[in-house]
Amino acid sequence: MGQGELPRGYWNPNSETMPRDELRRHQLHRLKRQLEHAHAGSEFWRGRMDKAGLRPEAITSLEAYAARFPILKREEITAAEAISPPYGTLPSVEVGLAIRHHQTSGTSGAQPVRTFDTARDWAWAADMWATGAYAMGVRAADTALVAFGYGLFIGFWGLQYGLEKIGCRVIPTGSFDSEKRVQLLVEQGCTVLACTPTYALRLALTAEQMGINLAREAGVKVVIASGEPRPEATKKKIEEAFGAFCGDTAGMTEAATIFMFECAEAPGGCHIIETDYIEEVVDPETLQPVGYGERGVRIMTSLGREGIQVFRYWTNDLVVKRPHTDCGCGRTWDLYEGGIQGRHDDMRKIRGVWFMPSMVEDVVRRFPEIDEFQCTLQLIDELETLVIQIEPMAGSDPAGHPALRVRFAAQVKRELSLTPIVEVAAGLPRFEMKARRFRDLTAPAASG
Amino acid sequence: MSTSYGRPELSEEDRERLKRVYADLQLLATSDVPAVAAAARLAVAQVAAALSGQGLEYELYSNRWK
Repeated sequence: MGQGELPRGYWNPNSETMPRDELRRHQLHRLKRQLEHAHAGSEFWRGRMDKAGLRPEAITSLEAYAARFPILKREEITAAEAISPPYGTLPSVEVGLAIRHHQTSGTSGAQPVRTFDTARDWAWAADMWATGAYAMGVRAADTALVAFGYGLFIGFWGLQYGLEKIGCRVIPTGSFDSEKRVQLLVEQGCTVLACTPTYALRLALTAEQMGINLAREAGVKVVIASGEPRPEATKKKIEEAFGAFCGDTAGMTEAATIFMFECAEAPGGCHIIETDYIEEVVDPETLQPVGYGERGVRIMTSLGREGIQVFRYWTNDLVVKRPHTDCGCGRTWDLYEGGIQGRHDDMRKIRGVWFMPSMVEDVVRRFPEIDEFQCTLQLIDELETLVIQIEPMAGSDPAGHPALRVRFAAQVKRELSLTPIVEVAAGLPRFEMKARRFRDLTAPAASG
Repeated sequence: MSTSYGRPELSEEDRERLKRVYADLQLLATSDVPAVAAAARLAVAQVAAALSGQGLEYELYSNRWK
């Protein structure tokens, strides 16, 4: 089904089409309530506000809040939690009110962020997911396959509940392998698939190897992609493979749920759920706000959670904000162009040229002969050098690999203005969630 | 804007109904009957999301009815 045939509508018409001035008043009202709640209930937030000389009643405008409230870093969350694990001084309500626990994977070597949700938090989290899924065209009559491990990581947990809330029949495929998932997609007549962009491509390839053309034989109309930045080339490839609309969305453990989604109009970006979040974009060096069309780091304030709250959280996500009028759906919520464009801490200047790992993926996805890739930044002859390993599709003729390597290297050079070393490899790691395809081997930690 | 986007609104009567059911559920959430209190606490959370989503007044932190 093409994107043009998807049903259109608003989950919450009032909120989604609220005039901008009313939206700002609504945000301020909710922010004040959140700050009062945090000051009353959370030792961490009370200490932080008191130290900054900022009582909740001192925040009289969104501008004053952005100018005076200190930015929160991830390390501060984990330090507060370490005081008395698992949640330390952060909670704003008694932990006894929690109905579920989640935590980040900690795979990057850092302490995991631990978090809980009360019943009210979780109902809100599911509602945020429902808002996004409904905007993509998901309806009660749909059958959704969620390709997710259902463990400690929050991932698509909220979507499971959001889809149930919409009224969908949801197939949770926990520990299933890719072949079994492809079978279920076809046998169960699934109309919605939810997974990471990387995994959607993996499923498409698996189906091809099974002799199944998903675009023809499965009835998927929407692929809900989340968990990773998703370059346009990847979106296009997913849409072709499934014959479906691929809607982008993103959330984070620290928020419990999603904060943006791509509507069925496919405006080339994601609407920010602005009734429930205050999203600032700042210059990473000066910390000053940047305007529409300028890239900066996303600073998030959640207005919806009562248990573990976040105010002005430095997300490290690189985004470019666009006005809501760039989309024809009628929502008054602004957009992030291309969703999350990358991570600030992944951004590097290599020999004077700005580089982000997602740029390599954007090239890779236009080479159907390449199945998987990894890239590293290395010091070679004292020069920072991008080394990209590519794994050709299984069954391809090895005689063609040298030519593929040369063509790919030339394309990277043309688009990134960097000359990479390209190697043909086998057995590169595969990912279901949070693909990690870039390592900086020049960083001090890498040598230790 | 696409013409296929409807914009249904709650009637004044339904808005009042939503607020009333929320107030009733809050009372039931403190019931001495465990099953009733549990059901009401879950239901109040869902109704809270609806109130909030409709941009109606919200004042609903769980610890206030514990």
